[in-house]
Amino acid sequence: MTNEEIEMLDVEKDRMRFIKNKASANLALLGIVFDVFYFVNIYRSDAGSFYYTILIGASIVYNLLFLLGTFLASEGVKNYKKGYSYLLMVLGIGQIIRIFILPRMAHAATVTIGETSTIVMGNSQYTKVIAYLVLSAACLIVSGVISVKRCTTLENYLKTLENGKAA
Amino acid sequence: MAELSLQHIDKIYDNNVQAVFDANLDVKDGELVVLVGPSGCGKSTTLRMVAGLEDISAGKLFLDGKDITTTPAKDRDMAMVFQNYALYGHMTIYENMAFSLTLRKEDPNVIHKKVLAAAEILELTEQLNKKPSQLSGGQRQRVAMGRSIVRNPKVFLFDEPLSNLDAKLRGATRREILLLHKRLQATMLYVTHDQTEALTLADRIMCMSMGHVQQVGTPLELYDSPKNIFVASFIGLPPMNFMDVKVSGDELIGDGFKVPLTAAEKAELAGYDGREIVLGVRPENIEEGEGLTMLVNNNENLGMNTLIHGNVATANGAAGPKLVAKIKGWADHRAGDTVQLVFKRKHFFDKETTEAIRKG
Repeated sequence: MTNEEIEMLDVEKDRMRFIKNKASANLALLGIVFDVFYFVNIYRSDAGSFYYTILIGASIVYNLLFLLGTFLASEGVKNYKKGYSYLLMVLGIGQIIRIFILPRMAHAATVTIGETSTIVMGNSQYTKVIAYLVLSAACLIVSGVISVKRCTTLENYLKTLENGKAA
Repeated sequence: MAELSLQHIDKIYDNNVQAVFDANLDVKDGELVVLVGPSGCGKSTTLRMVAGLEDISAGKLFLDGKDITTTPAKDRDMAMVFQNYALYGHMTIYENMAFSLTLRKEDPNVIHKKVLAAAEILELTEQLNKKPSQLSGGQRQRVAMGRSIVRNPKVFLFDEPLSNLDAKLRGATRREILLLHKRLQATMLYVTHDQTEALTLADRIMCMSMGHVQQVGTPLELYDSPKNIFVASFIGLPPMNFMDVKVSGDELIGDGFKVPLTAAEKAELAGYDGREIVLGVRPENIEEGEGLTMLVNNNENLGMNTLIHGNVATANGAAGPKLVAKIKGWADHRAGDTVQLVFKRKHFFDKETTEAIRKG
């Protein structure tokens, strides 16, 4: 590649050949951080017995899979792998769906301890966990969208480079 | 334009050990000067003082006429290439080359162009996405050079950059450095203990020993007109042969042997008649012919040449001073054989001062 050829390059796009997609990867990691905040807050309750169902096991297993999947996807999108971008978006949508499972159920439920009726999840805690899930979902979806966009741009750019070489 | 000037530079460490004594050197714009000498002679210390990595104890350092003696290393606009490459293992080659510019917060698009241009010069374009551990030693050293090139510094400093490479790769990388110098026309200061590197790369050589500058000159000057016994013995492979002799009219008299002098040599030694001097003869300046007799100890055939190791035979047949002769072609002498040799070119040194004896 001569200096003239370097000058002719679409530098913004050409840089993507050598610079990793750190924005998407970091957003995905931020999504993990918000998920962790959600997870350490969801089971804090005076009426913990509410959670002693099969849901708690499922929730823990899903969270482990979520952490693993998101971390792998963050590494994937860092290297412009389009498939992982879609995985991140799916995981983001999953975070939204999670709002309607445990948090909603816990917020609506009361448990009677002795003769006293106790709220499982107060408004403050509910708002907090919803916020964490929404933020986590937003990070993952935005990360996925950015990644899809960049992957497509890079793919098209590499095609033009190949066509240029072939010509 | 980058002219470097070292004026009366000394380096004295805190424990009062002096590593460099009164070093003077003027490096012209675009010149490649090699600092050569044995280990511990102060050449790397001198380079590190130029780079700003060591304080200068006394003397002045100028870059383009500006005094930079106390200027911090980061503000000297010099780039240094180290023996051990000093690459970041977790970064790709592209990131390694771009790193210094990224720290300076240069425009990423400008950085990209500079890295691509440097990679093109050094034929590293295909390696840009790899990690240093995936490259060979020679390629890693090219990356280290590329990291310097992207900065476009006024002066390039090389601290024994080829010492970690095997002989074949060293030769190839040496040629690359030479090409790079021709292409960039940059001012370069290069430290090595390898005289082959010094002779092949340098526009000029500064030869050092024990912290003292022994001689500064072109490779040919150092080879052909060494200033003293140290330079004569250090430059040239195999090293020069030395013999204690006495000047007596038109011949030199050694311990049991005689060497005739030409008229020009006699004139060169005017004023030394009757005095003891040191005779120096390069192995490649010795030919087979009627003259001195050599007692052969062993014979090394190198293909094009043969190295004959032995001693000058004295008049009574005993072994005199040691002698190595580099004879053209293939020879098959055995231990105990005698060979007749003539000295085609002689160097003379004052025995007391060890300085070369020059006519006039």
